[in-house]
Amino acid sequence: MKTWMAALLLTIAPVLAGAAQAQPLRIEAALDREVVQPLLDAFARQNPDIEVHFHDRSTREVDRRVAAGPPPDVVISSAMPWQLARVNQGYARRLDTPETRNWPQWAKWRDAVFGFTFEPIVMAYRLDLARHMLPPTTHADLHDLLDTHPALLRGRVTTYSPSVSGIGYTLFQQDARYSSRFWDLVAAMGAADVALEDETRAMLEGLTQGRYWLGYNLLGSYAMVWAQDHPEVMVQVPKDYALVLMRMAFVHRDAPHPRAAIRFMEFLLSRAGQRVLAGQTPLFSIRPDVVGPYTAQRLRDQVGDHLYPIPLDASLLAFIDPKRRAAFMDRWRREINILEDGD
Amino acid sequence: MIEVTGSLKSRLALWLLVTVSGLGALLLLEAYFGARNAAQRAFDSQLEAAGLTIAEGIQWQGGQPVVKIPAAALSILATHHQERVFYAVLDARGETITADLDFSVPAAWQDAAAQRPVWRDARFLGADWRLHGRELESAGWQTQDPVQIWVGHTLSGRRALAHELFERSVSRFLAMVLLAGVLMLLAMRAALTPMRRLRHLLRQRTAEDMRPLDARVPEELRELAETLDTLFARQRDSHDALLRFTADASHQLKTPLAGLQHTSELALEERSPEAWHEALTMIHRRAADTSRLASQLLSLARLRHLTGHHETQCVELATLVRDTLLESAASLAARDHDLGLAPLPEAPTTIRGEPWALRELLGNLIDNALRYTPAGTTITVRVKRDAESVELVVEDDGPGVPTAWLGRLHQPFERGGRQDTEGSGLGLAIVHSIALRHAAELSLEAGDQGGLRVRLRFPFAATGTTS
Amino acid sequence: MRILVVEDDALLARSLNKSLAPLGHQVESFTTYQAAHAAMERAEFDLILLDLGLPDGDGLGLLSWLRDRGNATPVLIITARDAIDDRVRGLDEGADDYLAKPFSLAELEARVRALLRRSQQRTSNRLSLGPLSFDAQSGAVYLDATPLDLPHRERCLIEGLLQHGERIAPRELLENRVFGFAEVGSNALEVYVSRLRKRLEGSGLRVRTFRGLGYRLEMDTP
Repeated sequence: MKTWMAALLLTIAPVLAGAAQAQPLRIEAALDREVVQPLLDAFARQNPDIEVHFHDRSTREVDRRVAAGPPPDVVISSAMPWQLARVNQGYARRLDTPETRNWPQWAKWRDAVFGFTFEPIVMAYRLDLARHMLPPTTHADLHDLLDTHPALLRGRVTTYSPSVSGIGYTLFQQDARYSSRFWDLVAAMGAADVALEDETRAMLEGLTQGRYWLGYNLLGSYAMVWAQDHPEVMVQVPKDYALVLMRMAFVHRDAPHPRAAIRFMEFLLSRAGQRVLAGQTPLFSIRPDVVGPYTAQRLRDQVGDHLYPIPLDASLLAFIDPKRRAAFMDRWRREINILEDGD
Repeated sequence: MIEVTGSLKSRLALWLLVTVSGLGALLLLEAYFGARNAAQRAFDSQLEAAGLTIAEGIQWQGGQPVVKIPAAALSILATHHQERVFYAVLDARGETITADLDFSVPAAWQDAAAQRPVWRDARFLGADWRLHGRELESAGWQTQDPVQIWVGHTLSGRRALAHELFERSVSRFLAMVLLAGVLMLLAMRAALTPMRRLRHLLRQRTAEDMRPLDARVPEELRELAETLDTLFARQRDSHDALLRFTADASHQLKTPLAGLQHTSELALEERSPEAWHEALTMIHRRAADTSRLASQLLSLARLRHLTGHHETQCVELATLVRDTLLESAASLAARDHDLGLAPLPEAPTTIRGEPWALRELLGNLIDNALRYTPAGTTITVRVKRDAESVELVVEDDGPGVPTAWLGRLHQPFERGGRQDTEGSGLGLAIVHSIALRHAAELSLEAGDQGGLRVRLRFPFAATGTTS
Repeated sequence: MRILVVEDDALLARSLNKSLAPLGHQVESFTTYQAAHAAMERAEFDLILLDLGLPDGDGLGLLSWLRDRGNATPVLIITARDAIDDRVRGLDEGADDYLAKPFSLAELEARVRALLRRSQQRTSNRLSLGPLSFDAQSGAVYLDATPLDLPHRERCLIEGLLQHGERIAPRELLENRVFGFAEVGSNALEVYVSRLRKRLEGSGLRVRTFRGLGYRLEMDTP
């Protein structure tokens, strides 16, 4: 009798405890907390039993924490090749839920990692620039401006540092893939004494403060929100081609709370979650059935067909091959310093 | 008796099932390995393509390899199944120049790849992998150390393709089996039609109808049809023989009965006791003859038309002959004859036969001898043995039978021209029938003392032989 | 002697009756199984003539019923069925002899006589034929009630012959009885038979030789 009672208690105990005490969920993300807060709030409303611990870190730190230290539950990062490499190394758990199954094929890999945002890469400029010259609308325009107004623009151009920022490196690699004249642009920016920043936010702040007149390869999502509050900053989606970056999320293989993690992913990809992204964040929803100011569909309508999403597939791995990265960085340094070498 | 031992259809179906499952197992096994090999080949060639694409990205600068992994190589490697991918470029000493995963290719594999491109199966990082290694040597202005390129991916694509190919084979095979089964059923129906026709033909027959069959049958049924025809022919013969025999018998029985009737009728009209006595004596003799005739007729009819299997056993002929003679010699009928037994052979005189029929045979021979010879005649019964046969001889020293008659004596109602005696003419016919049943040779000949000698040669049955 | 005749054919029953009664027998005839059955329960007989094909049953049933009761009355089966297996079955059931129809009355009388004598001898322990008799207990031989003083082998010969009654005494059997298993010449027995013939001269009895078969004691005038 006693043992029977004990067995019953043992069976019931976890259930009672689970109801009483919230399940933790640790998310390691390279994603600004204030940007994503509406999403987290919506998730918390729907899942009061899950207590979300959201850690906002740099892409490199997020990547490091996948393999080192206690494993997180969910990993979110915009450094696409690094995310993919982690999946290739087997750190991601394959998911098989209604939402993951229906997710568009081009925005997921191995049913393990999912691109859940659709962020255009943009140029941004201060109104000061427009007073002196016609603002650039294409990559070629930018190159011409740098060529024609070297003195005016010297020190006033900013872009990502490829050596520090994973996003920046990825974007430049893609640029180099699409146009052979990219290196001319790099050389021109080098000649203009380009300022290399780690984050879009720093570039936007520089523009607002007047330190910079022109920013290249900014995350459109942040830039557009910034421009709404800062009228002196204009955002231009390049008209020749515009790269599109996806933030990628996966559930860690060794996630301590896999059930909560899967529920988070389900929400992230669900219509409800994506509607929050489309309406309350500038992260642009991928889902075609979501309506809001920030959707991939709306963006396509506005800027036309020249959106080039960075392909979410194994080819990304090539860009973080150490040799290839080293070669790319060698070339970068060579091109950016081309005038100094010449002097 | 007809015992039903399952139906032909189910037997054929069973055979089909056994054959199909046996063959099917082999075919499916073959299909399984075939599908696996096909998938393996298809994906191995993709590995090779990826390896070659990577090779395109390798250049030598100052004798040192410079590696630029082409993005396309990794797309090829991942395939549309989105495999996990592995690549490594190794220098001549086996040191890794660059790689995407932490896996070191075993030295033995590297040695093999140095000879020719190789494919290997491996397991690392929690997954099964297929690896491909090739060595790249480039001609150039300077001597250059070769590099090895290793590529690999996980197996889900291969498995999916093999599964799909195998499933396709299985469904094709099942469809074929189904079709074969249906065709088999139809073929069976068609093949059994002649049998049904034959059955119908036989069912329509009346018991008296013994004409030859008039049916079209396939080769397989020919033997059956011919056997049936033979059976009908035999029945016809036997039926005809029975009719003839019945006609003879009725003649033979009616005649003495008519005599009896007339004699008694005449006697009743007489008034003198002497005439009565004379008539009664005649009636008595004739009645005795007629009853004997009747019993012999029945006996012959039974022997000739006895159907079905008769059981034979090993019979020691000498013993049987002596026992029968002890009875016959003691009977009233033998009172006036010298009926004796010649010394019996020492050797066994075993034959296969029915004891009752053999007794009947010997009884008839003795009865004949007693009946057709005058009182005082010596009748001797002999049993002889040689290598293959046992011979029974009954010989008398009576008047004998003219040689011309000898050949006909065994036919019913034949009395060797002796219509005067009280015999029925059936004794030897009975003997003949029994001899036929025992595969014995019957011969009639003149005896040494001028009488009749009847010889019966039976095949000797060595004891221990079975029927 | 009391004889029971079970025969459904009236004519045959009548002739059996007529042929047996003059021999000094009391004959009772029944035509059905039931009646015969009742009669057997009621009374004792010295001999039963049994027809197998009765209108209301099989004579063999009657025979086995009789034997099951331990009744040893001699039974002579008379039947029109000539199948040999019937004969064998009849003898198996305990019949003493078998006669197939048609038969002569003389044959029947001889069989009846033999059966009656055998049953008598079984009870009296005395073998006899005509004037000759043999006391099985004392071994004495009498001719017309006069004891004969005979050598042992002749006594044995007489006993052997009498035991077979009117049937033939097989030669081998007599040789065994007279000489034991000792090897004897082929005509040794004939010597003793000749001696016996001499003794029986004028007694109305004779010993008949059956060539190759054996010997039989016979009355001179049958």
